[in-house]
Amino acid sequence: MSQAMSALEPPLGWASRERSSQEQLARRIVSNLPALLGAAVIVWMVILAIFAPIIATYPYDQTNLNAVEQPPSLAHWFGTDALGRDMFSRVVWGARSAVFVIVMVTVIDLGLGLQLGAAAGYLGGWVDTLVMRVADILFAFPGLLFVFFIAATIKPGLLAWARTHGLDDLARSGYLDYAVVIIALGVIGWAGLARLVRAQVLTVKEREFVISARATGVPTWRIILRHVLPNSIAPVIVALSMGMGDIALSEGYLSFLGIGLQPPAPSWGNILADNAGQYWRTFPQMIWLVLIPGLVLASVVFAFNFLGDGLNEALNPEISP
Amino acid sequence: MATSSDGALVQVVGLKKYFPITQGIVFQRKIADVKAVDGLDFSIQRGETLGLVGESGCGKSTTGRTVLQLYSPTAGQVVFQGKDLTKLHGEDLRKMRRNMQMIFQDPYASLNPRMTVGDIIGEPLEVHNIAKGKEKKERVQELLSIVGLNPYFVNRYPHEFSGGQRQRIGVARALAVNPAFIVCDEPISALDVSIQAQIINLLEELQEKFHLTYLFIAHDLSVVRHISDRIAVMYLGKIVELTDRNALYANPLHPYTKALLSAVPIPDPIIEEKRERIILVGDVPSPVNPPSGCRFHTRCPLAIDICKRVDPEFRDVGNNHWVACHVV
Amino acid sequence: MATLLEVKDLKTEFRTQDGVVHAVNGVSFTVDEGETLGLVGESGCGKSVSVLSVMRLIPHPPGKITNGQVLFQGRDLLQVDDEEIRSVRGNKIAMVFQDPMTSLNPVLTIGTQIGEALELHLGMTKEQARKRSVELLKMVGIPEAEGRLDDYPHQFSGGMRQRVMIAMALSCSPQLLIADEPTTALDVTIQAQIVDIVKRLKTELGMAIIWITHDLGVIAGLADRINVMYAGFVIETAPVKEIFGNPLHPYTLGLLTSIPRLDAAMKSKLTPIEGLPPDLIEMPKGCPFYNRCTFRTDQCANENPALELGAVRHSVACWNWQDVLKKRAAYLSGRA
Repeated sequence: MSQAMSALEPPLGWASRERSSQEQLARRIVSNLPALLGAAVIVWMVILAIFAPIIATYPYDQTNLNAVEQPPSLAHWFGTDALGRDMFSRVVWGARSAVFVIVMVTVIDLGLGLQLGAAAGYLGGWVDTLVMRVADILFAFPGLLFVFFIAATIKPGLLAWARTHGLDDLARSGYLDYAVVIIALGVIGWAGLARLVRAQVLTVKEREFVISARATGVPTWRIILRHVLPNSIAPVIVALSMGMGDIALSEGYLSFLGIGLQPPAPSWGNILADNAGQYWRTFPQMIWLVLIPGLVLASVVFAFNFLGDGLNEALNPEISP
Repeated sequence: MATSSDGALVQVVGLKKYFPITQGIVFQRKIADVKAVDGLDFSIQRGETLGLVGESGCGKSTTGRTVLQLYSPTAGQVVFQGKDLTKLHGEDLRKMRRNMQMIFQDPYASLNPRMTVGDIIGEPLEVHNIAKGKEKKERVQELLSIVGLNPYFVNRYPHEFSGGQRQRIGVARALAVNPAFIVCDEPISALDVSIQAQIINLLEELQEKFHLTYLFIAHDLSVVRHISDRIAVMYLGKIVELTDRNALYANPLHPYTKALLSAVPIPDPIIEEKRERIILVGDVPSPVNPPSGCRFHTRCPLAIDICKRVDPEFRDVGNNHWVACHVV
Repeated sequence: MATLLEVKDLKTEFRTQDGVVHAVNGVSFTVDEGETLGLVGESGCGKSVSVLSVMRLIPHPPGKITNGQVLFQGRDLLQVDDEEIRSVRGNKIAMVFQDPMTSLNPVLTIGTQIGEALELHLGMTKEQARKRSVELLKMVGIPEAEGRLDDYPHQFSGGMRQRVMIAMALSCSPQLLIADEPTTALDVTIQAQIVDIVKRLKTELGMAIIWITHDLGVIAGLADRINVMYAGFVIETAPVKEIFGNPLHPYTLGLLTSIPRLDAAMKSKLTPIEGLPPDLIEMPKGCPFYNRCTFRTDQCANENPALELGAVRHSVACWNWQDVLKKRAAYLSGRA
């Protein structure tokens, strides 16, 4: 046997060319310029969100009626709005709102979507029927309209709840607006993910290595954790990345339409809404008031989509040219 | 029973596996069954290799998986080491798997691409509480060298190996728990010709060294003849002939076995020139709606009237040569 | 017999992320009119790529034919324009592939698909094409041919689909039929049916065939001559009885001793070829079989042998074929 062994090793040159899968993944993302740019934008947004108090030059809600509607200058990099608030600071703090909402909604989506999807896919039967029918119902409504509906219905309820529990400060603080946005987006967001996870699990559980793990005597929980999920996760990561862009945009919509975060809480959506009125009045001199928050929101949405595309190609090398 | 039960490690009685065909999404109704395995009786002696041959769709792979309870049987018993596996569930069955393992056909699909070779071979040791940590690593390296791979490969991933090497990894995993019985499900059909012999020889060596009992499933009669002690020929969910390999090749009784043997090409142009082939007409019928009577009668060159009506009994015609045919 | 196809020093490579894959490395062979040539080898040996190169069906990029000539009836197919190669494909040279399901269009009836070639290449009317299609289906042994013309591919079994593929390939009476592992996906009794049909059609129609396979059994009863390929080279070529009766290359010998035979003496031990084929990206300097060869010498590590005549009509690419000839008996013993 030992004599045969040396001949059984891969031929020379083979090993040098083999890279670990992580290395290959990194290499494929780095070679994809839009994905790299997207990742850079996202990293920037997160840095802004974390260090907002340090980076912002003014408090986000500090008004200054002596300096309203100023164009960009050294003192106010992005100018000021109709109440004299520093736009740069509001945009920076807006990043914190956006990141907070994205993270929380993603956590809900993941928590519900991953677990319900995996359960539906692996267990099948009535669990599958129940989860998927609920998801179908959520899908049957036009998405954005449904979010508006939820946001509009739960907000009075939440406010009433806070007041009856003596939490008047909380009710006034604006924090409940975050809860409204997060719940509204979370309630519908998980369904898509659950469908995706279920479909993945259904294919993976029929793959031969899963059957082979069963034949070996590996316990069910360990099969799901070590064999099924790690091999189902690639499209989930892609969908999450794309989904984060959608969440940022939806938060913008809601806040723009006044159902989401309320001023003075900073959100790119409500900054846009606030300034849109001024914009029409003073067009085109005040264009930066809309242009800057609009561009920031757009670039974040694009960034997530580019990154998602890049991840998709990197994780499924067979689809890339 | 097809053989006496003394010394039998595995005893299969009346084994059936039907897969339901359902219709409807919310309310699923069963409209028919795929009768993949439809009443098998056989036993496997300790230390022997039973070959199971047949064409695609005959139910041979389903048989292997049903014997190991990877599919729960529709009917029948599988007695292994004195216990009826069909009565075992959950944890009891899982623990039993330590003694019976499987080697799969496709070495690309049967290894988890996200686990290292060390984790793949070490997993059975862990889940059956045989070895952990350093001890596990040593055992994995020992197993790698037993199957002819460099022990240094433990930290590599399956994609870094060729098909034949992957199949060796699959063999090492099956071997890890020191099983008594291994189902080899077409273990060489996905491999290149020059690699097949490596794996066949490896399986033969391991059988001798570790006193293994094999159920060897294949479609290639030359390979099955080479490796098996006894051979069962399957057609459309049933065994049509079962005997020791010399008798099967020297004196095939069932017309399907004869046709199958004559269809196998021999790599020798001089012999090929002289051979007479029995060319069967038509295709294998669907297992959803198998023919009445003898399932082979639609293609059988010797079929008589009774074959269409009565399913022939699987009987011993002497010297433990079992066959299911009216004409024999 | 006149030469129908002559391939000279054909080289094909594929550019991939990891480097250049040298799939075919200077292959030369001829096919005479009415002759059946077997191309035998394992996956990655270049047997399929070489005939796809002949048909100019190599996807470009990543593939590229970098050298060689393909003379078909005196014309170099690698030099003619696209229109001319199309008039050759399917018309004078036809192909049958391994998987009949992916080669048939699932949304068109069988009749439409066979008729298409007849109308296109032979200018037949719909009526004529239909009549001819029925004849062709009968020729390949499809029962109730008239009735099946309006069926879709999924209504046929695997073996029947492969017959339809053969009928389509024969529709324009090609002079050369290229069959790329046509029976690999089929069961052994169905394989016997297909081989039977091809043998019959070969004598009836007198066409030349290139039959690509990894199965030495199938080719033994079918071919007139065999090219054994390894790592993109033809390493041995000889009439079929020579290859099986007088193998001179260690790889050919290894293939013959490593497969179990239905008629072998009982309990003979198989002699596998140890090791793996070489990496086609970083090709070894010397003989590509060097690391697996039991007859190797120092010369083999440094110089790749060219084909040389070892017997009548029998060429072999090995420095030590005379050594193989002497010691061969020990390897072949234990077989029938």
